[in-house]
Amino acid sequence: MKKRFTVAALVMMLVATGCGGGDDDESGTPPGQTGGPTTTAAPVRGGTLVVAIGSDPGSLNPAVTSNGGVHTASEMMFNGLVGWGVDGKPTPELAESWTVEGNGTSYRFKLRSGVKWHDGRDFTSDDVKFSFERALLRLHSRTQASMGTAQLTLETPDPLTVVFRFPNPYAPLLQQLNVTEAPIIPKHVYEGCADLATVAGCPANKTPVGTGPFKLDSYTINEIRMVRNPDYFRQGLPYLDALVQRVIPDQGTQLLALENKEIDWVGSVPGPDIERVKANGALGTATAPRGSGGGNCTLTGVFNLRPPAGRPAFFGDVRTREAFWRAVNREQAFRTVSFGQGKVAASPINSGITFAAATGLGLPSYDVNRARTLLDQVGWKDEGGGVRTARGVPNVPDGTKFEIDWHGFAGDQTTYGEQIRGQLRDVGIALTVKTEDNATFSAAVFNRREFDTAVVSYCNGDDPEIGFRRQVDTRQISTTAFSNGAGYSNPEVDSLLDRAAREPDPARRTPLYRQLQEILVKDLPYIWLTESAGLRAFNANCTGFNHENTGLFAEAASCRK
Amino acid sequence: MNRRYVVRRLLQVLPAVASILIVTFAVIHAAPGDPIVAVAGESGNEEYYAFMREKFGLDRPLHVQFVTYATNVFRGDLGTSFVQGQAVTDLIAERVGPTLLLMGSALLVSTIGGILLGALAARRPFGPFDLAVSTTALVGYALPVFWLAQLAMLTLAFRFGWFPIQGMTTARVSYTGWAHYADVARHLVLPSLVLAASEVALITRIARTGILAEMNSDYVRVAQAKGLSHSSALLKHALRNALLPVVTVVGTRIGFLFSGAVLVETVFGWPGLGRLVLSAAQTRDHPILLGMVLLVAFSLVISNLLTDLLYARVDPRIRYR
Amino acid sequence: MLPLVSGAPLAEPEAPHKWRVAIRSYLRHPAGMVGLALTLMMVVAGLLADVISPGDPFRTVADPLLEPSGSHWMGTDNLGRDVFDAIIHGARTSMVVVLGVVAIASVIGLTVGIVAGYRGGWVDDILMRITELFQSVPRFFLVLLIVALFGAGLDNLIYVLAFTSWPTLARVSRSEVLSVRDRVFVEAARSIGATDRRIVLHHVLPNVLPTAMVVIALTGSRIILLEASLSFLGLGDPTVMSWGYLVSNAQRFLRVAWWMSVFPGLAIAIAVLGINLMSDALNDVLAAYSKVTRPRWRRRRVVRGAAAPSLST
Repeated sequence: MKKRFTVAALVMMLVATGCGGGDDDESGTPPGQTGGPTTTAAPVRGGTLVVAIGSDPGSLNPAVTSNGGVHTASEMMFNGLVGWGVDGKPTPELAESWTVEGNGTSYRFKLRSGVKWHDGRDFTSDDVKFSFERALLRLHSRTQASMGTAQLTLETPDPLTVVFRFPNPYAPLLQQLNVTEAPIIPKHVYEGCADLATVAGCPANKTPVGTGPFKLDSYTINEIRMVRNPDYFRQGLPYLDALVQRVIPDQGTQLLALENKEIDWVGSVPGPDIERVKANGALGTATAPRGSGGGNCTLTGVFNLRPPAGRPAFFGDVRTREAFWRAVNREQAFRTVSFGQGKVAASPINSGITFAAATGLGLPSYDVNRARTLLDQVGWKDEGGGVRTARGVPNVPDGTKFEIDWHGFAGDQTTYGEQIRGQLRDVGIALTVKTEDNATFSAAVFNRREFDTAVVSYCNGDDPEIGFRRQVDTRQISTTAFSNGAGYSNPEVDSLLDRAAREPDPARRTPLYRQLQEILVKDLPYIWLTESAGLRAFNANCTGFNHENTGLFAEAASCRK
Repeated sequence: MNRRYVVRRLLQVLPAVASILIVTFAVIHAAPGDPIVAVAGESGNEEYYAFMREKFGLDRPLHVQFVTYATNVFRGDLGTSFVQGQAVTDLIAERVGPTLLLMGSALLVSTIGGILLGALAARRPFGPFDLAVSTTALVGYALPVFWLAQLAMLTLAFRFGWFPIQGMTTARVSYTGWAHYADVARHLVLPSLVLAASEVALITRIARTGILAEMNSDYVRVAQAKGLSHSSALLKHALRNALLPVVTVVGTRIGFLFSGAVLVETVFGWPGLGRLVLSAAQTRDHPILLGMVLLVAFSLVISNLLTDLLYARVDPRIRYR
Repeated sequence: MLPLVSGAPLAEPEAPHKWRVAIRSYLRHPAGMVGLALTLMMVVAGLLADVISPGDPFRTVADPLLEPSGSHWMGTDNLGRDVFDAIIHGARTSMVVVLGVVAIASVIGLTVGIVAGYRGGWVDDILMRITELFQSVPRFFLVLLIVALFGAGLDNLIYVLAFTSWPTLARVSRSEVLSVRDRVFVEAARSIGATDRRIVLHHVLPNVLPTAMVVIALTGSRIILLEASLSFLGLGDPTVMSWGYLVSNAQRFLRVAWWMSVFPGLAIAIAVLGINLMSDALNDVLAAYSKVTRPRWRRRRVVRGAAAPSLST
């Protein structure tokens, strides 16, 4: 039995090396990968990769949300126009080639021919136009904030050509067309939907049809089972027969299951386990600069600057916000929550965007006494009982206690809140941590604005236009989830954003972004906490993972038996 | 068991059901804030609220609302989850299977195990085995089931590798037929043992007390005087009569089995109602929680009914007034 | 639905020094004394929480995930909080909840049970229907629903648990009253013109209390487990430290910090065990000193009411 298997494997390997190839973005040796054998031999075909996810995503359409859970679960079934290669260089995916015209005002893409949807129909430029106009520009917060503001229009002169036109030069486009930022969905499946954003309004959200390397086999509340797409446009890929995403809500249990060989991939290793995991020879690890929620993510505390009528404006005065900053020991919170993964945020723009992130900005440092003084100045008096009372605070009725809430997702975000809660008690602020799921959180924070503070992981992407702009642009104050949560509006900031977006020369953009960030440090509409970096761990018998284009991380993966 | 008793007992179900409906209705309407929020959730818009107000007749007088509520419940319409956007009945139906499987096996194991242990302990009362069993039972009864689950997962599953860590099936391979049942059984062992552990303690004590009482009763002593052996007396007479209290207790423990199953499922990632209840509790999704209250309450009514009928059938002394 | 039994058991005049004898025999009961010690440990921890572990148990006091050592007897958790301090404060939460629930449930349960048993007739019927009403709904899931609707405060929790715990006590005290009501000494008292109030207070109540105490103790231990289970699911009061919360927080770190789970779990087990031992000892002491020969089906009913402490959870 064993002998026969070895012979078969050898034959298959020979066949694979003979036929395969033609991949433009073979991962090679991705940076930061440790452990596992470096395979120079052809990969093994077959096998199932089991991936852990934290909860049932509810929907499998990545084009209508930027939510990480949905993306992790569904991206392997789709593609973008342009992928990410090593060093963030754009690589062809659904688009074979492209030309940039007019200094960045128009991009012409030649689409790959012969690409088929999972149901057999042909992929055409109409699908691209539909995906952007009906889905991405309306419902994906990063696309909406960036390309929507830049007034993108699409033209489809023929079925294999699509042109992106902007009134002003738009530099970051090629970084925003991969499967995480702009997955392409089929027009013929989704055009009949009443409401693309919900499952009730669009049942196809549970039975996705894409162009990706895997297609859906079954979707239950417990696991998502995908099988190999034999007609995938990249010949020879994927090597795996099946990909299973199993719901395991607890991170500790995920790791136990990985170590017990019940699963093969954990997207994010909890801090305290990192040392042990790295030392485990049966596991491989890789740092992930970007994940399914986007790249260059900064965990950000949101002050509600525009509460609805009837809700006290706790953070109307910038001194209160500064007091909050000074009461929170970000260093300590970072150490205990993130266990040293990533770093404390030193600027509003994520330091991963090297040309834009400013240094030496003078963010308020941890100073409890100064925090108390500031609160007294504003009118929050300490009258005994541990919680401050408002006396003469503008827009806050006298006698109101400084009791606020903190909304966040389960996991690190909630833990952060708990850490901060203890620190805030010292200055007389009572914080209640509210753990919510995606739908409840979005409704409370962005829809109804019924919150005092919230925490959002704003993923900046590779250009401030992609994921940073939506935080501070006046025009992004909307009900779209993960837009301008604070409700911050400063015309100076808006004009700086516009000027920087139109400036094609990166060297000239840097001072504009610096100016912008200096204003933000004065206004403090948010509290930038940590820049997160995840460590992924996987079965060392599996290789070929793509850690750059994370949406398709298992496209070229294979597992030895 | 006479017919009068059966009929009276069946009729008793009605006030029980009525109580359940009254209490749940009162709780929903006593909640602070607009009752529409209790019914339709916080994230709806005006149109949705108007629609739900109409559907549930929230502008109507209270007793009319109650009738609407009761009819909805009997029709199987338990509302819609705001967070998940699906009918509560569907959500529960999707997940109730694995939970019932877990509860059923725990019930079986704990009952059989408890009776066995109790009988063995009663053979030599206050002997070493009895003391060991009684002490273990006492301690076991005090252990919180979710903690026991964590310990079991860490030691038996992980450290010793005897059992799988999570889930009901192996993720890697899709088994069918007998292999599938075997796979499920393998995954079932640890969660059901943990759930049974809390129950075994109680059943052992009751079985032991009951058996000892029977062994001391006149008819058994007479039989023994006539030459019946100690073990035979235990098996043939004491055990059978001592089973009754066990049965009655088991019937009323369905409530605990449900709540215990929810807790055990969250630790082991068992794909049943546990995860649903946990997320509903955390997101304050009232319709799901209400659905669970009704499900468990009605299960209790039925199981109490069955145990009382069974009890009456077996024990001829029971008459109803 | 307990089958009702009519007919008074053998009458016996009450023993004069019943309490003192009972206490003395309790003191000689080994398991009971162990239980008393364990329970007292928890009560003292709860009462003196601010003395034994001053400061806010939610504060970070050291590096996270430290093993148990001389400076941190039970280690620290993932946020650098001292586990021992957290457990001491958790004892206070458990104690507050148990005492609150027991106080309210006892008052209601005893009153309803005694009035129903003593008065009989239509008063009895109505009170029993009301009792059934509160007993019909499963406690655990009802609390989940109520917390979702009313909020997760300690007082909400206490009220809900109390209102679902008194029915058992009412039933048990009612059946005790029934057994005492027609005894000779009660009739004697009535014949010399004692008021109902006097009879209830001086004759009925002292006979009901012992059994009632057994049930109350068992209720208390179930309440501790219930509160821990709720906090485990994240539904406890977030402003106070709770053992269940500690165990649920430990789930993620089982592999690296066993002490985060083991110690809080042990605390729960010890508290529950202590109270259970006490109630068992009380039961034994009562049984030894009750000169009444209970018919077999009465014994079963005591089993149902006492050793199977809650008919619904």
